[in-house]
Amino acid sequence: MSVLCVDDVRKTFAGGEAPVEAVRGVSLGLEAGDFVALMGPSGCGKSTLLHLCGAMERPSSGRILVEGADVSTLDDDALTRLRRERIGFVFQFFNLLPTLTVLENAALPLSLAGHGLREAESRARALVARVGLEHRAGHYPQQLSGGEMQRASIARAVVHEPALLVADEPTGNLDSDNGARILELLAELNAGLGITIMLATHAIETATVAKRVVRMLDGRLADAT
Amino acid sequence: MIAGPLRAARSWAALFRRFIIRRLAGERLRTAVTVLGIALGIAVVVAIQLTNASSVRGFEAAVESIAGRTSLEIASPGPGFDELLLNDLGWLRAYGSVSPVIEGDALAVTPDGARESVRVLGVDVLEDRSIRDYDLLDFASGDRQPRPQEFLELLVDPRTVIITGKFARRHELAVGSDIDITTGDTVARYRIRALLEDQGPARALDGNFVLMDIAAAQLAFQRLGRLDRVDVRLADGVSVDGAETAIRERLPEGLLVRRPDRRSQQVEKMLAAFHFNLTALSYIALLVGLFLVYNTVSISVIARREEIGTLRALGASRRAVLALFLAEAATLALAGCALGIVLGRLLAEGTVRITSTTVDTLYVATAAQPVPLGLRHILLAFGIGMPLALLSAAVPALEASRVAPNAAMRGSDRLELRFRLRVRTLALPPALFALGWWLSTLAPVGGYPVGGYAAALAIVLGAAFLVPGVLFAVCRAGERILARVFGIEGRLATANLGAAIPRISISVAALAVSLSMMVAIAVMIGSFRETVIHWIDQTLQADLFVRPATRTNIATESTLSPEVIAAASALDGVVAVETYRSFDIPYGDGTIILGSSDFRQEVVRRKLAFKSPPDGAAAFASARDGRGAVVSESFSIKFGCGVGDPVVLPTPRGERQFRIDGVFFDYSSDRGAVIIDRAAFNELFGVSAPTNLLVYLDEGVDPDVARQQLIDATGSSHRIFVYTNARIRAEVLRIFDSTFAITTALEIIAIFVAILGVASTLLTLVIERRRELAVLRLVGADRRQVRKMVVIEATVLGGVSQAIGIGVGLLLSLVLIFVINVQSFGWTIQFRLPVAFLLQSTALILVATALAGIYPARRACAIDAPEQTVEE
Ligand SMILES: Nc1ncnc2c1ncn2[C@@H]1O[C@H](COP(=O)(O)OP(=O)(O)O)[C@@H](O)[C@H]1O
Ligand SMILES: [Mg+2]
Repeated sequence: MSVLCVDDVRKTFAGGEAPVEAVRGVSLGLEAGDFVALMGPSGCGKSTLLHLCGAMERPSSGRILVEGADVSTLDDDALTRLRRERIGFVFQFFNLLPTLTVLENAALPLSLAGHGLREAESRARALVARVGLEHRAGHYPQQLSGGEMQRASIARAVVHEPALLVADEPTGNLDSDNGARILELLAELNAGLGITIMLATHAIETATVAKRVVRMLDGRLADAT
Repeated sequence: MIAGPLRAARSWAALFRRFIIRRLAGERLRTAVTVLGIALGIAVVVAIQLTNASSVRGFEAAVESIAGRTSLEIASPGPGFDELLLNDLGWLRAYGSVSPVIEGDALAVTPDGARESVRVLGVDVLEDRSIRDYDLLDFASGDRQPRPQEFLELLVDPRTVIITGKFARRHELAVGSDIDITTGDTVARYRIRALLEDQGPARALDGNFVLMDIAAAQLAFQRLGRLDRVDVRLADGVSVDGAETAIRERLPEGLLVRRPDRRSQQVEKMLAAFHFNLTALSYIALLVGLFLVYNTVSISVIARREEIGTLRALGASRRAVLALFLAEAATLALAGCALGIVLGRLLAEGTVRITSTTVDTLYVATAAQPVPLGLRHILLAFGIGMPLALLSAAVPALEASRVAPNAAMRGSDRLELRFRLRVRTLALPPALFALGWWLSTLAPVGGYPVGGYAAALAIVLGAAFLVPGVLFAVCRAGERILARVFGIEGRLATANLGAAIPRISISVAALAVSLSMMVAIAVMIGSFRETVIHWIDQTLQADLFVRPATRTNIATESTLSPEVIAAASALDGVVAVETYRSFDIPYGDGTIILGSSDFRQEVVRRKLAFKSPPDGAAAFASARDGRGAVVSESFSIKFGCGVGDPVVLPTPRGERQFRIDGVFFDYSSDRGAVIIDRAAFNELFGVSAPTNLLVYLDEGVDPDVARQQLIDATGSSHRIFVYTNARIRAEVLRIFDSTFAITTALEIIAIFVAILGVASTLLTLVIERRRELAVLRLVGADRRQVRKMVVIEATVLGGVSQAIGIGVGLLLSLVLIFVINVQSFGWTIQFRLPVAFLLQSTALILVATALAGIYPARRACAIDAPEQTVEE
C-alpha cells in the first residue's frame, strides 16, 4: 500500500475579490521510504499542497489517501487522530511551544495520544539523543540556536514513528551550515528509520538530498523525475 | 508653524477613527459588554449618592414644609415641657409671632380600609396662621378664606380634624367623612371639617398631614398640659443670630432655642456613618467596569500587535500609539458613564426602596423618593469614571506604545517567555500589610473610619502585589499534581499559565480583590448575626413585648395608655409587668436615646448583657441611688467614656451629672443610649407614659394565648403590637437580614467579576497564543484536549483568585469588624468564621470560572491551524 496517494486534487481559497486557486489538479504518489522534494517559486502552491497531504486541510476536489484513509471524508476528530498517529510536521519557523522544554516538546505527540508522561518522555529522550540534543533536553526553546530548534522540532515530528513526515521549508530560516545539517538529519532518518518524507523548498540545493524532485508551478506539477 | 501641530492632530484623529473606532464598531459584542460593565459600576455609585441624599432630603423637606416661616423654636431636652412655662415666656412676643405646637406620628385608617402613617400637627390655629399657611379648599364655595373665628370653630370639637385635599382625593374622603386615627396606642374617630390646599405644611409627606387643635392633640397623644415646642417667627428686620443669642440668655433653665433645620442636621449626622459605608461599598462595583476596560484594551493591543508594529514602521510615534489606546478607553468610558447615569437614576428608585426600609427601621421615617439627578451627579460620574478608565487602560496602552516597528515582520518578541520572580515583588506585600496594620490603629477622623478604609486599601494593594508570587508557586507546585490528575492537558495548562504570569497577574488581582470583598463582608455579617443572636438570647427574657402600633421607629414619641397597662397587668398568670420609657435628647452635636426603667426590677431580671462590669446586677444596684446611669457600648465608644466616668445630660431642670455604673451591649441602635432609674427620671422629666411594656408570665402559661387575651382585652379602641418572645426574636433577625440585604448584591457582583474576568483574561491569552494553539492542534491535540486545557486554566485562575480572596478577605474582615465597624457604629462583634459560606462560595467560584473557560476554549479550538504556522 502506498503511504500517500494524491489524485487530481484542487484547492481553492475564497479570496477577497476573486477566489485563489492555489492547487490546480495535482496527482502524486509516495511509497514507503520515499523522500520527495517539492520545488518551485514562492507562491506556487507548495505549502498548500503540503497542508493537504499532512491532513491539515481538506481539498476542494480530488482525493488524498494517507495509508488508504481518505482525508476528504474524515471529520475533524478523525483528521486529528490521523495527524497524531501517522503524520509528523516540520515548519520553517520551528513552532516549538515556548513554555515546554525540548524534551517535553518532543514528547508532546505521544502524551496527546494518551501515552503516560513517563513513557512518552523516555521515548522522546531517545529521539532527542538521536538528533543530537541530549545536553539540551531540559532547556527551553528560546535558549537554543535556530539549528537546535529545528532539530528539536524534527525530534517532535518523528517521535511517534509517523508514516509520513511533511517538512515545509525546514531550512528556510537557517544559515547554510545549519541548513545542511538539518538536511543530513532528514536523510539519515529517511534511511535509518525508513520514514517517508515530503519536503517543500524553493532552493535547488535543498532539493538535492531528496531521492526524487517534483517541480511545481502555478499550482500544477511541472514534471516528475 | 501653526499648521504643523494642527495637521498632526488631524491625521491622528483620522487614524483614531480608522484604527480604533472601526474596530470597536466591528467587535460589537465585546464593546457592548465593556460599556455595560462601566455603566453598571457608575450606575451603582450614582444610585447610592441619590439614595443617600434622598433619605436625608425626605426628612429635610418634611421638616422644612412643616416649619413654615418658623425661624426659631423653643424646646426642651426631653418629651416636651409643662405648658405653664409658657406664662413666663410672654417676653418672647417682643421678637415676633409665637405658636405652641404638639407634633407626632399617627396611623390613619380610612373607610376604604387603607392604613397610612400621617404626621399630626396640633396648633392654636389663630396664632399659628402667622407662621404657616392654611388655605382651605372650597371654603364658602371657594370665594374666600375663613376668618380667624370661623377657622377656630372648625376645630372647636376635639374630635375634628382638617386633612389635605391630596389625602382626601386618594381615599375618596370629603368634608363631613369620618376617619380613624391611632395616636400612641389609642384609636379614635375624627370628623373631617375641611380640606387643605396643596401648599404650606400640607405639602409635606405627600399629603399625609393632619391638622388638629392643640388641645385635641394633647389629648390624643396623652400630653395633657404639655407642649412639644414653641415655634417663633421673628418680626421683619430682626436678625436670627442676634435673636437666638438673646433668647438663649433669657430662657429659663431646661428650655433651649434652636433653628428648625437643626433637626434635619441631626438626622443627617445620624445617618452619616451608614451613608459613608454605603458609598464605600458602591465604589467596589466600579471595579467591574475598570477591569473590563483593562481587558478590552489589552485584548485589542495583543490581537493587533503586528498592526501596531506596521503603524510604527510607517512612522506613528510612540506617543501617538499610546494616545490611540488611551482614547479607546476614553471612548468606552464616555459611553459607559453616560449610560451609567441613566441606569443610576433607574436603580435609585429601587435602592431607595430597599435602604429606606433600613433607614426607617434603624433611624427615621423617610420619604421613598430619590432626589432628582443634578449636575453634581453627572460631574461625579464623569469625574470618577473617566480618570479611572484611563488609569485601567494605561498598562496595555503603554505596552502598545512599546511595540517595536519590526514587530510586523518578526514574531519573536511575543511573550516574556520565562517569568522570573523579583525580590521587589516579594517584599512589597509584607510592607503593605504592615502599613495596613499601622493604619488600622489610627483614631477616626471627624467620626469617619478613614484609617480603617486606608488600611483596607493597603491590604488590597498588598494582595495585588502578592499575586505574581502566588501564581508562580502554584504553577510550580501544581505542575506535577495537575499533570497526574488531568494528564497532559493539566501539564500544558500550568505551563501556559506559568509563562503568562505577568500578563494574568492584574486580572487575577482584580478578581481576588473582588472576591476578598465578598468574603470580608460575608464574614462580617456572619459574625454580626451570630453576635446578635447571642445577644438576643441573653437580653430578651420577657414573654410578651408590647408597644404602640404607631411606634414604627426609634425617633417617634408614641406612648402606651393606662388602659393597655392595666389590661396587661390583669392577664391570667402574669408574674410581672415592667414599663420602659425612652426618647431622644440632644447630646454633643447629635442626639442620643435616654431611657428609664425601674432599676429594682432590673436587678432581679437582668435584661441587659453587660460589657463591664460583667455582673450587671451590681451596676444596677449601684445606679439606684439616682445619680448613676448605665450606658450602651456605642455610647461608651463614641464618647470615649467608661465605668466611673461622669456623663452630663441636659434635662428640663438644667444639666445634670450622672456617674456611669455600667456599659451594656446594645445592637438595636448605633446612636448611643443612656438609661437612668425611673425615680430620677420622673423627678427630672416629669411622669410620662411608657413607650414599651414587658410582660412576664408564669411557667405554665402559653404566651400565644396570653397575647391574644391582651389584644382582645384592649379591643378596637387600642392598637398595639404584641410580640411573643419567639416572634420578637424572629423579628429582630428579619430586620437584621433586611438591613444587610443590599450586601448580597456584592456577592453577585463578585461572581459576575469572576466570570467576566476569567473569560476575558483567557480570551486574551488564547488570542496571544494562537500560534502555539495551532501547533498543538497540528501535532495531534484534538478539540476536546484543547478545550480541557483551557477550562483547566480557567479553573486554576478561579481557584487561585478565590484562595487569595479568602486569605485577604479574612484580613479585611478583621479591619471591618474591629476597626471600621467599631468606629462607625460603636459595636463589638465577635469574630466567627462562616465555614459553610466559604466552602459553598469556593465551589461556586470554581464552577463559575470553569464555565467561564468554555467560550475562550471554543475560540481556541476554532483557530485556523495552517495559517498560523506558516505565516509570520
Ligand atoms: N489561507 C489562504 N487563503 C487565501 N489564499 C491563500 C491561502 N493560503 C495560500 N493562499 C494563496 O495560495 C497561493 C499559494 O500559496 P502557498 O501554498 O503558500 O505557496 P508557497 O508555499 O509555494 O509559497 C498563494 O497565492 C497564496 O496567496
Ligand atoms: Mg510556502
